[in-house]
Amino acid sequence: MGLGLLASRAIRPFNSSSGSRFLLRTIVSKPELQSPESSAAAADASPEPDLPPRTPVGGARVHFTNPEDAIEVFVDGYPVKIPKGMTVLQACEVAGVDIPRFCYHSRLSIAGNCRMCLVEVEKSPKPVASCAMPALPGMKIKTDTPVAKKAREGVMEFLLMNHPLDCPICDQGGECDLQDQSMAFGSDRGRFTEMKRSVVDKNLGPLVKTVMTRCIQCTRCVRFASEVAGVQDLGILGRGSGEEIGTYVEKLMTSELSGNVIDICPVGALTSKPFAFKARNWELKGTETIDVTDAVGSNIRIDSRGPEVMRILPRLNEDINEEWISDKTRFCYDGLKRQRLNDPMIRGADGRFKVVSWRDALAIVAEVAHQVKPEVIVGIAGKLSDAESMMALKDFLNRMGSNNVWCEGTGTQPNADLRSGYIMNTSISGLEKADVFLLVGTQPRVEAAMVNARINKTVRANNAKVGYIGPVTDFNYDCQHLGTGPNTLMEIAEGHHPFFSAISNAKNPVIIVGAGVFEREDKDAIFSVVETIAKKGNVVRPDWNGLNVLLLNAAQAAALDLGLVPESSNSIESAKFVYLMGADDVNLDKLPDDAFIVYQGHHGDRGVYRANVILPASAFSEKEGTYENTEGCAQQTLPAVPTVGDARDDWKTIRALSEVAGVRLPYDTLGGIRSRMRTVAPNLLQVDEREPATFGHSLKPEVAQKLNPAPFKSAVENFYMTDAITRASKIMAQCSASLLKK
Amino acid sequence: MSFTLRSVKVPPNSVNLEEARSRMFEFFRLACRSIPSIIDIYNLDEVVTKSQLRTTIAAQIRKNSQVTNPKVIDMLLFKGMEELNNILEHAKQRHHMIGQYVTGQHGLVQDLDSKDKGMSDFLKNFYKTNYF
Repeated sequence: MGLGLLASRAIRPFNSSSGSRFLLRTIVSKPELQSPESSAAAADASPEPDLPPRTPVGGARVHFTNPEDAIEVFVDGYPVKIPKGMTVLQACEVAGVDIPRFCYHSRLSIAGNCRMCLVEVEKSPKPVASCAMPALPGMKIKTDTPVAKKAREGVMEFLLMNHPLDCPICDQGGECDLQDQSMAFGSDRGRFTEMKRSVVDKNLGPLVKTVMTRCIQCTRCVRFASEVAGVQDLGILGRGSGEEIGTYVEKLMTSELSGNVIDICPVGALTSKPFAFKARNWELKGTETIDVTDAVGSNIRIDSRGPEVMRILPRLNEDINEEWISDKTRFCYDGLKRQRLNDPMIRGADGRFKVVSWRDALAIVAEVAHQVKPEVIVGIAGKLSDAESMMALKDFLNRMGSNNVWCEGTGTQPNADLRSGYIMNTSISGLEKADVFLLVGTQPRVEAAMVNARINKTVRANNAKVGYIGPVTDFNYDCQHLGTGPNTLMEIAEGHHPFFSAISNAKNPVIIVGAGVFEREDKDAIFSVVETIAKKGNVVRPDWNGLNVLLLNAAQAAALDLGLVPESSNSIESAKFVYLMGADDVNLDKLPDDAFIVYQGHHGDRGVYRANVILPASAFSEKEGTYENTEGCAQQTLPAVPTVGDARDDWKTIRALSEVAGVRLPYDTLGGIRSRMRTVAPNLLQVDEREPATFGHSLKPEVAQKLNPAPFKSAVENFYMTDAITRASKIMAQCSASLLKK
Repeated sequence: MSFTLRSVKVPPNSVNLEEARSRMFEFFRLACRSIPSIIDIYNLDEVVTKSQLRTTIAAQIRKNSQVTNPKVIDMLLFKGMEELNNILEHAKQRHHMIGQYVTGQHGLVQDLDSKDKGMSDFLKNFYKTNYF
């Protein structure tokens, strides 16, 4: 017995009211909890109250596929109609009662091991775990009775038995489910005086920090890894108080979605390593915006403090990213602080850049642009460009007399005439209906991790078959590697290949062609072979369009919609004046040595090496811009933080330059430039709405091109470093060093 | 010398515009005569010449050239005298002088050009800031 206990016993007066009972501990918080059964019986006797209708939790809606399947249950006396097969917890949510839970997650399988969601069900001897219990017709569920309350209090006490009291130094503090629920449902003291257990921290790589002592074994992360991410990296070891989450052997988590375990962990066991001890969630300002690191356009929330982006979190969008984002999206933000261009610069005679004023920089660019012939002016938009600035760039170059303007990654002769030829016609959420996938020259796992998660979900849900043509790579679902080159594609088109019967027998077949094919010389031939497969396999029907292109970059779809197509395919070879609007990955080897290069962008990346003039621009977190994702859904970013240094928005720079060059563009505001966009691509103004393609592939002219048997190349070499922002990111560099090691 | 000006009392109001006008010239001459000692006090000889300072003073006075009310002119005169007193008493620091009278309100960078005349508001704002 401790000294303090002895002292308190000595000080405490033994009042005689409770006789011989040892008075030091009284845990039960409220008198009615001492005999819960009796009060439950008393509640029974009360007449059925006429309750006003309640709103479901989180605006949840119920969809009845079959009206006969509807059953009625009573939640706290309030009748609700739900479809058969729903759990008690879901019924409560429809009735507007939020049940506390730790292990239950609506997108994961049901584990039922935290017991926090216990509710009382009439005629049931014990409280039931509502997340695992199917609701039965006429069930009378009580969520607010003393039995339920006591059950929650008891569960809470057991969870806190081994949970450390380190909330002040825990990164989850302030957004911790355990913290919130112990405040709401827990007792005000604990009865356990023994030592808390401690667990060795695991090393899960450079992204996820683990403090395994805080873990409450809800197994959400284990289920996420195996069900959504499709990797069997995490698991449970041991039983009882020896139970631990871990990787079995010393191993890093190699999923491209691993960052999501941070979000689903209800406690501070799995937290973000780069964000550790950086900020508290209540000091952050959230800005709802769009991710641009790939063509999916995941919905994100940028949390910033002052001028600094502190972290990036996913935002719910059922049609695009559900509630997950890829690691590249989540952790690229430190790239926004490094290698930034902050002042206009001109390369002097000694080859060094000199800071100049905007006035001088624009004057020089305009002067040089007028000295060359219009045909040798070339403009290339980068992969992170927004639609507004691409519109301005095209208008500016057209006014200068040139039409050599394109977006990097779309190849030399992109097909921008038929919209169905470059967007994902099935839509990302539509992929869930598919039963056969044919991936042509695309590796969705590295090109668009969220699309890959959708395919994985479909493969798990309805055993869809996946065939893949391209270089050897690893998939996180069952996949049949059919071949490496267009020859296999030809075989399928001719019907020799066994996979052709899989396509033609499928109900909803899907063909996905990677945008890496755009860079090939024989892309028209490949697309015509793919269309032959689609025609023979009945892939495109009035009710189902399964022929898709998976784009690589955030700017691509909008660029093709706006008609950023070069006039001639060899314009780079003869160019004398090149305007790179954030284009870093364009191959400038063939450029003449005397060409004048203007680089307008936010990072000192590859494009800067040859640039003569640098015009600083704002990154996606600092500007308002429209981006169209690979399925043709236009979305807008919002500025979360101010621009760095003397940088300007892309479209403003081009608008200013056009005036200095004497070919003034007719818009001064974002509204003005958008009404210009409306005349070119009205779908870009339908924000947050997917605009399907109107015409199908059948309108395409015959192709006389010969198929080149060279195998497909992988479009993305390093998942973690694909653009200027991610290449500048230290975290992404660590990831590629440790996770891509073979 | 600087403290001699301290004894300057508030003069009686000017009777008419003529009187106010002559007082203004009086003040301008006084300010111009103090320029050498101002340059001396604040070590301004390396950043500005006497004639530049004279131009600045004249510009400050011309800014109110449209004022015709003698009372207002008297008030402005008083403020000007006050400012001159403060300057001569070394109540300011060197960077105040440079900020207010050498580089002016527009900051150090003043690349105004003759071709800026036909510039649109957009371009003018663009050169200043990204947020407009």
